[in-house]
Amino acid sequence: MRIRTSLTICSLLAALSESLADKVDFAREILPILSDKCFVCHGPDTKKKSMLRLDSTETATVDRGGYRAIDPTTPQKSELIQRIFDFNDPMPPKDAEKQLNGAEKAKLKQWVLEGGAYTKHWAFVPPTRKKADNIDGLIESQLKSAGIPFAEEADRRILARRVALILTGLPPEPEQLKTFLADKSSKAYARFVDRMMSSPRFGEHQARYWLDAVRYGDTHGLHLDNRRGIYPYRDWVVRAFNENLPLDKFIEWQLAGDLHPDPSLEQLVATGFVRMNPTTGEGGAIPEEFQAKNNFDRVETLGTALLGLSLTCARCHTHKYDPIQQKEYYQLMAYFNSTAEPSMDGNAYRYGPTAKVPEHPAAWDEWEELKQSRSELLNQVKPELQSKLIARAKLTTSWKSSDWRLTKAVGLTAKPTDQAFKPGLGLPNAGEALPRKSDQARWFECKIFTPIRQDLWLSFTSGPGFEVILDGKPIEAASRNLPLTLASGDHTLRIKLIGTPDRLPVEVKLENAWKSLAESKAWPKNDDADRLLIIADPNAPSVPKKLATRSQEIASRISTIETEFTTTLVAKDLPTPRETKILERGEYHLRIGDPLKPGVLAALGLSDSDAPMNRLGLARWLTDSNQPLVSRVLINRIWQRVFGYGLVRTPEEFGRQGDFPTHPALLDWLAVELQQSGWNLKHMLRLMLNSRTFKQISATRREIDDPENRLFARGPRQRLDAEVIRDIGLWASDLLDPHMGGEGVKPYQPAGMWKALTHPASNTVNYKADTGNRVYRRSLYVYWKRTSPHPMMTLFDAPSREASCVQRSQSNTPVQSLGLFNERQRLEMARALALKLLRIDGDQNRLDHLFNLLACREPNDAERRACKQLLETMRKRYQADPDATQEYVFANVDGKPGYPARLDEIAAWSQVTGMVLASDVAILLY
Amino acid sequence: MHPLRELDLLQTRRHFFGRTALGLGTAALAHLLPDRASAARGSMNGGVHHPAKAKRVIYLFMSGGPSHHDLWDYKPRMREMFGKNLPDHIRDGQRITGMTARQKTHPVCPSKYEFTRMDNNDRGVWVSELLPHTATVAKDLCVIHSTYTEAINHDPAITYIQTGSQVPGRPSLGAWLSYGLGRINDNLPGYVVMHAATKHPEQSLFNRLWGSGFMPSDHQGILLRSHGDPVLYLSNPNGVSASDRRAQLDALKAINQAQYDQFGDPEILSRIKQHEMAYRMQTSVPELMDLSGESDTTFKLYGEEARTPGSFAACCLNARRLAERGVRNIQIFHRGWDAHGGLPREHGNQCLDIDRGCAALIKDLKQRGMLDETLVVWGGEFGRTAYCQGKLTKQNYGRDHHPRCFTTWMAGGGVKPGITYGQTDDYAYNIVDSDGNMIRPKKDKWTPGTMHIHDLNATILHLLGIDHKRLTYRYQGRDFRLTDVHGHVVHDIVA
Repeated sequence: MRIRTSLTICSLLAALSESLADKVDFAREILPILSDKCFVCHGPDTKKKSMLRLDSTETATVDRGGYRAIDPTTPQKSELIQRIFDFNDPMPPKDAEKQLNGAEKAKLKQWVLEGGAYTKHWAFVPPTRKKADNIDGLIESQLKSAGIPFAEEADRRILARRVALILTGLPPEPEQLKTFLADKSSKAYARFVDRMMSSPRFGEHQARYWLDAVRYGDTHGLHLDNRRGIYPYRDWVVRAFNENLPLDKFIEWQLAGDLHPDPSLEQLVATGFVRMNPTTGEGGAIPEEFQAKNNFDRVETLGTALLGLSLTCARCHTHKYDPIQQKEYYQLMAYFNSTAEPSMDGNAYRYGPTAKVPEHPAAWDEWEELKQSRSELLNQVKPELQSKLIARAKLTTSWKSSDWRLTKAVGLTAKPTDQAFKPGLGLPNAGEALPRKSDQARWFECKIFTPIRQDLWLSFTSGPGFEVILDGKPIEAASRNLPLTLASGDHTLRIKLIGTPDRLPVEVKLENAWKSLAESKAWPKNDDADRLLIIADPNAPSVPKKLATRSQEIASRISTIETEFTTTLVAKDLPTPRETKILERGEYHLRIGDPLKPGVLAALGLSDSDAPMNRLGLARWLTDSNQPLVSRVLINRIWQRVFGYGLVRTPEEFGRQGDFPTHPALLDWLAVELQQSGWNLKHMLRLMLNSRTFKQISATRREIDDPENRLFARGPRQRLDAEVIRDIGLWASDLLDPHMGGEGVKPYQPAGMWKALTHPASNTVNYKADTGNRVYRRSLYVYWKRTSPHPMMTLFDAPSREASCVQRSQSNTPVQSLGLFNERQRLEMARALALKLLRIDGDQNRLDHLFNLLACREPNDAERRACKQLLETMRKRYQADPDATQEYVFANVDGKPGYPARLDEIAAWSQVTGMVLASDVAILLY
Repeated sequence: MHPLRELDLLQTRRHFFGRTALGLGTAALAHLLPDRASAARGSMNGGVHHPAKAKRVIYLFMSGGPSHHDLWDYKPRMREMFGKNLPDHIRDGQRITGMTARQKTHPVCPSKYEFTRMDNNDRGVWVSELLPHTATVAKDLCVIHSTYTEAINHDPAITYIQTGSQVPGRPSLGAWLSYGLGRINDNLPGYVVMHAATKHPEQSLFNRLWGSGFMPSDHQGILLRSHGDPVLYLSNPNGVSASDRRAQLDALKAINQAQYDQFGDPEILSRIKQHEMAYRMQTSVPELMDLSGESDTTFKLYGEEARTPGSFAACCLNARRLAERGVRNIQIFHRGWDAHGGLPREHGNQCLDIDRGCAALIKDLKQRGMLDETLVVWGGEFGRTAYCQGKLTKQNYGRDHHPRCFTTWMAGGGVKPGITYGQTDDYAYNIVDSDGNMIRPKKDKWTPGTMHIHDLNATILHLLGIDHKRLTYRYQGRDFRLTDVHGHVVHDIVA
């Protein structure tokens, strides 16, 4: 949760700032007062033009008919001072919600008497630094002022656990720990940090924070809250972090990957960011209203996640606190207002535009490898062969297809007559849909004329069980993506398209790989996919047999993967932009003023004059080195996930109402370093984790009054996130399935939770847990229904992902205790971990191993005593009660497996492992 | 040293927030330091900013939009207009949903139900034959005919009335109350939510309706379920007894204590307490759910249906039992009021579900002397149209969503009993003043006789001793309120 400083003002810092400078610090001391107490009437959004504004020197010193609010020549005459001390007619007025206290009045008076000078809000000025500084130096200078040294360095075992958890979300593997502890070189620690960062687990863990910020979910979020197909975006985020994609590119692809001249599939997938807003398909909703709401959400999420600014005020009026005009809000909105998707989601999984992508990361990797082989193969096509192929290509261009027709939905066994085919039902690719039941089919028919013998590439949508019939003869079609070899002459093609519950559109494509070659008449100009199909075509002339065979093999493997492609929501702009106007009071139907061009927030610096007026231009403005906020906001959140608290304690708000950084110079030093390192996340993490600041022990220092660790005078310490708590249990018990990516997984969940609140027409009304290893996948992949996320996630403070979240709360509730002890998967973890320990000889060794896994160390005396006592109690109890033993060890297990240990031992040990897994040894970072 | 400052030294701020509150919501108090000195607990009656009229609230939420026409807002003159198009001056430019916007006509649809004028402490109140039991407590009800909203679709409207914003992300009313009121029973959660069974589970609910939005998640509602564990994960697994768990918790405590000794993290001490409370809940919740101690009189009052877990009547009985045990913040959600077609059948069933339970709850609280200090609120997210959606016959019809006026009632806890507030025109389409002139109310400025949903929420908070303008939570640099920048306490209904 966020912590306000209003009550526990850190006296150390206050003392510090007073001792350093007797003069009032405008940015730190005055602006927050003006912003919080005065700007509501006298800020950027004054009601009347004539109203006094106190947000700049120009407005505050204006002659108001013989007096000035701030009089720079005779400051003691300033009206501001008179009025804040005026008993009868004070400012703020007596009935104002927020009043000035004595200290604040004194500060304001002092400031005016010192000249009443304004400086720009710190966060709106681009960061600068002294290059020679570093993390520890900047932390230490404040420690020194407070008269305290760094805390001592934590034990290496504690450090290993801390590093591994922060980087990968899991403790180190016992082998990794052993290697690290045995490595006595001075570089051992740095090597360990690097090793953790190179694990694929790294990307999975880091991705979570970003997914919270962009509100990633597997459902639409509103009303029916139906399924949404966008998980390839989540998998791309994991990949981007694992490959250490520079963060400026990371942002640019997400905002505008589609607007690159020739976007890669990854760049397209990344634009899922733009599509992440919750959407509705509620019958009766008014599209214009949701066009506006969807865009509000995008603008405001951009504000929170990247700018660290609440922009919501400016939706209805000029911002009360920050220099943001209402018009600018709508100019920012104009960047997003022309995306091509309809404003209502139609409750559809494929809420277009979508891109077709490999189904999971392993398929993506294989696909990339095949494409690599393909381009190597294509290099073998010699110029002589190229010209022969071009000559043939010209002959293939006059093939025609006509009379595309469809039947209505019929039973699977029905053989439709010729009359059943109707052109009037609409062509494929024109909004016709497959039946939604798998026991129904629609038949498709078209006529084809080919002047010469050739292959055409056929692909179509269908559920399993389809049939392809060419000229009355069934064709063996293993996939929905296949070559059709056609002799010269007329042909009739029929396809039986089987229904699916997924609301698929009818799509049938008949493509000629030779076409683009015929048009370009130049071999290298054609894309690899077409060229491969050409040399794989058995009718192609003079292709060496080996080349032909190999190309057929690759074409077929690529085709198999591509047939299994899933879709993901992407951004795409309309050919003609939508008109954007200011919406009065944010009401969608009150459009006022002239149409607006897209534009950025002037207070944060203008964009380059040659920047494109689209999302790409926006992305470039955000990642420009003069942009004051983005690098600070990102590095603050990276610091927050390493140290538990940010340098700015309001990570969602860097505007005038936000908190002042605890270490302004350090924040700026890091922000500049981030930019100058090429936006290199791993580099920044390396700097932080190798610092002395990070390596301090995390124990409370009784001699210091700093409960929120504002001085960073100890190491990080917090309860771990919901996902990490679950993953640790799965990992320690060897249940964790390391497979990455793909559609969200569904572990056990108490029955009826979705049904109790979901619309009966929704396709997320029934929760059906997965079977097999899918229930043991990492928590990152757990299915995220935004109106009802998994209860073990919600219980431990995971956000709903309906709105951006850049800092989770850390609650501490009794229901968490119940979940830790009684949830079905936790029982399974305890039992599997007990079985694992029982493979080791001797109680002592078992306990050592248990604590080595969870705490990277052996148990201390108190822990050992507590565990042994529980173990003995439970041994007696279960030895005496075989029925209870059976019930416990076979709970939720199919049949009665032959366990390789005595059942009462398993039961007793499960009680111990379950308890330690729930203890603060396991669920805290320290 | 200020005692609170001392506390802060021992604990982190967050540790201090929102927990182990006795009577006052420490979370909110910490935020409102200046009030603290004056907030002597006894004299405030549990209030935060002023003495509370009600110590607790039971909110009966009718999700989907109950038809005020067929339940509460009696308009006999509509019968003369049966099937005629709704006059334009009545619609008055009202935007209507995509479901009936393209309908060629908007035929006036009078209610088929008989209404009876029940005596109250005022001019009497007309109640539909669908609510025979509720009619018997008319003297306790404050019936508000002029509740209104801007939202016309379910998701935005229900999110609006429950969180003060049409888009997700804000804390719910219940979370605000949890933040303001804290918890007074150490064995039960402070904020409990129930989902009552319905034959028409249409329309959705969302976690956000009892969620904590940007507040710490301790303020989210705890579901009290009718199937499986009443509180999630409450029961020990098979083969694990209470004494086994006790042994586990004792070991856990020793281990956590060792962890505390090493790191001095006050959160660890707090967590030890939470584990203990969980253990106590394993007794207190089953005891709460065990109705065997309830007398026959109770079941005569609530009906035999109250023995069926999850029925609305059972939820009402649970609500009373929770209230008795000091839970201050109770909500029951009942779905199925979205009658676009076949309204008589659907609303008939819905009223059978709720009518007896509502009346029983009020009578029961009253006979136990608890009604005075318990605020009961009944209502949905909007009303339904005066015109018919789909085919209109005398016996069967449907109604679309209507935001401009709908009926809500309150009872007990500092509300004037036996009155009506606000009135509507002959079509129950617009709010009118006492002379029958149409009022076009705006949320920014309260007009007497109207009750915007922000006004409703402001009034609920007021009755519980909370000033809706001063109960704030800072997020993104802004001091957020449940009522946004709106809301007006309607003192006309406050006793």
